[in-house]
Amino acid sequence: MALNRKIAYINLTTGEIETKPIPISMRKKFLGGRGLDMYLMYNHVKPGVDPLGPDNVAFVSAGILVSTLASATARTHIGGKSPLTGYVGSANMGGFFAPEMRWAGFDHLVIKGKAEKPVYLWIHNGEIEIRDAKNIWGKTVHETQQIVREELGDREIKILTIGPAGEKLVRFANVMTGVKDAGGRSGMGALLGSKNLKCIACRGTMDIKIAHPQEALDYNKTFITQITSAKVSQTQGKIGTPFIWGSTNSWGGIRTNNFQYNQLEYSDDIEAESLDEVNIGMAGCFGCQVHCRARYIIPDGPYKGVYDEGPEYTAQGAFCGEPGCTKRNTLLVCNHLANIYGMDLLEVGSLTAWAMELYEKGILTDKDTDGLELRFGNDEAMIEMCHRIARREGLGDILAEGGLRAAKKIGKDSIKYLIHVKGMSNLHSDERGTPSLALGIATGSRGSDHLRSRPAVDLYHLPEPVLRKIYSTPVAYDGPLTSDYKDYEGKPWQVFWHETCYEAVDCLGICKYHTTFLAATGPNFEEWSRVLYYNTGLEMSPVDIWTVAERAYNMERLFNLREGLTRKDDWLNDRYFDEPTTRGIPAVQGRTIDREKFAKMIGEYYEHHGWDENGVPTPETLKRLGIDKEPSHVL
Amino acid sequence: MAKETTGATTMESLARGRTTGKFRCVNCFVRISPPPGAKTYKCPHCGFEWRVFWISPTFPRIRGPVWDVNRRLAAEEVSKQRKGGK
Ligand code: SF4
Ligand SMILES: [Zn+2]
Repeated sequence: MALNRKIAYINLTTGEIETKPIPISMRKKFLGGRGLDMYLMYNHVKPGVDPLGPDNVAFVSAGILVSTLASATARTHIGGKSPLTGYVGSANMGGFFAPEMRWAGFDHLVIKGKAEKPVYLWIHNGEIEIRDAKNIWGKTVHETQQIVREELGDREIKILTIGPAGEKLVRFANVMTGVKDAGGRSGMGALLGSKNLKCIACRGTMDIKIAHPQEALDYNKTFITQITSAKVSQTQGKIGTPFIWGSTNSWGGIRTNNFQYNQLEYSDDIEAESLDEVNIGMAGCFGCQVHCRARYIIPDGPYKGVYDEGPEYTAQGAFCGEPGCTKRNTLLVCNHLANIYGMDLLEVGSLTAWAMELYEKGILTDKDTDGLELRFGNDEAMIEMCHRIARREGLGDILAEGGLRAAKKIGKDSIKYLIHVKGMSNLHSDERGTPSLALGIATGSRGSDHLRSRPAVDLYHLPEPVLRKIYSTPVAYDGPLTSDYKDYEGKPWQVFWHETCYEAVDCLGICKYHTTFLAATGPNFEEWSRVLYYNTGLEMSPVDIWTVAERAYNMERLFNLREGLTRKDDWLNDRYFDEPTTRGIPAVQGRTIDREKFAKMIGEYYEHHGWDENGVPTPETLKRLGIDKEPSHVL
Repeated sequence: MAKETTGATTMESLARGRTTGKFRCVNCFVRISPPPGAKTYKCPHCGFEWRVFWISPTFPRIRGPVWDVNRRLAAEEVSKQRKGGK
């Protein structure tokens, strides 16, 4: 059956491997993927461990619906204490790795210790081997994938790997499961690098038995029709996520020149439609009908002829918006470099843009940059910094430590200009005009990012009855809701709702583009309840799934609190409150976030969670969620 | 506090309200319909002008602003607001 996949405990120090079944009671509590990983993380990572030391633990998993008949169930999750923030490390990626891991017999891997020399894991039909990685250490992401497939003699092998950045312990190195499928945020590549673990190769042919196959197939047809008829899906299938830029940069929601502006003017060359000119066709993840991943060949310059995939909306902002660059080729090349080195492109772009502002303000000098003119709009400098960060050369070595450590090293008032939350750089969005988005990044459990709780549909000016419909399901809500994204009212509930929704998809293994993220008409709790039952036989109501997600999110909060997080960490850089926006449509010009109203929003957000005024879950909340006795060490 | 819903799901009921051939002006939020194949379109309600991309012959989207027009309009509006003490 779909629920008989196992959990494997792999000790890289001793070479011991133990496998166990996952009790149904734990499935009902955490489902799988990110949810169960967060339980495991709270139970297996001892408080205060060095994130790059052998006592940190890496968790790799598949969502509970992965590789079933349900649509777009491709997601792999990776967790561990973050080398970047010291708090929750967690990243999620599409592609084909997680389905293969399930066909190979496993749902969760708990990877402990540190190998004496570089190794990789070979997982196939219930077996796990630790193998020598001598000939792939030092190789890029794409090279590694090719070499391992050749070495094991099977082109169908799926590989989760780190690149050179992970080996060099760049604190925001990512893990990749394809050409561009990246578990990007929070430095999980550095965590694997610290364990001398280069990659995990998987191949499986073990059947997944579907609980109610005919019903699952029939229902999936309805589901697919809904997904493919959504306008957002059709747009993504044609031009990928860069379509978002067309809207956000048009009204003034793009962080530009680090944080000095909120719109990248005259940037037509990097718009989705310009990228579409070099697009050689779209690709998709396992079981997805949207196919949002663009494929391209770099048309000119030193990298002419090189193949890669993307770039996504995030890359447009990281390599163009933030550093103020406007050339398509810069975007294509930097995207490629982040993919082969295995780095979180959001950190690379944000930290380079921050360094550019420091350079222009005289805080960094030519001596610090080894003569590189680190000015906004210098496309060559942006490309060069990708190399230097990945190789830890000069200033790149300082930035590779992440913003907070780099600010300490650079000194002066460099920290003032760093746009981060909990030590994680923000995406390229400028949230000064959108309090709901600002609240999301301030409170995200893994730091500043858009994939934890962003109420993107808040930007669509949806009528109140539509908002009411979305935000009163599956649990009742009769508080305020407003169509105006500039308002503060009702937004804490929206952030809480999306946080719970995104946690749920990450437990199920479904892509976020298949829920209420970019499309207001996406499936969510009501649909998942049926999909879960037809595919796995688990009977859980929409509210039960909501509760699982709440429970898992509280485990993340408990982990962060145990590592020393306080209310003041759920906050933004002063620039959000003090520097008004200067570009975009009239309604978003002159905007700052109001400190008092923002603090009130945070209080309301805590209340929705059942947390006290310090952001600590109350004993009643923990009891209600059944996690008042954690760590319980069931698994 | 929890309640189960019955009948059409949120997804199903909201999908019935989809529109075609239109997009929302991101300045005034009114849904506007550019003529088929138009490369640019001026919002009839607020005057902001958008470059248009066609996902299909009946499906337009905003590609970006007509920069010179929208920058000028925004500057005029902001200056008016400031003079009005808003
Ligand atoms: S929408 Fe895009 S990212 Fe999501 S599953 Fe489909 S192809 Fe993958
Ligand atoms: Zn308009």
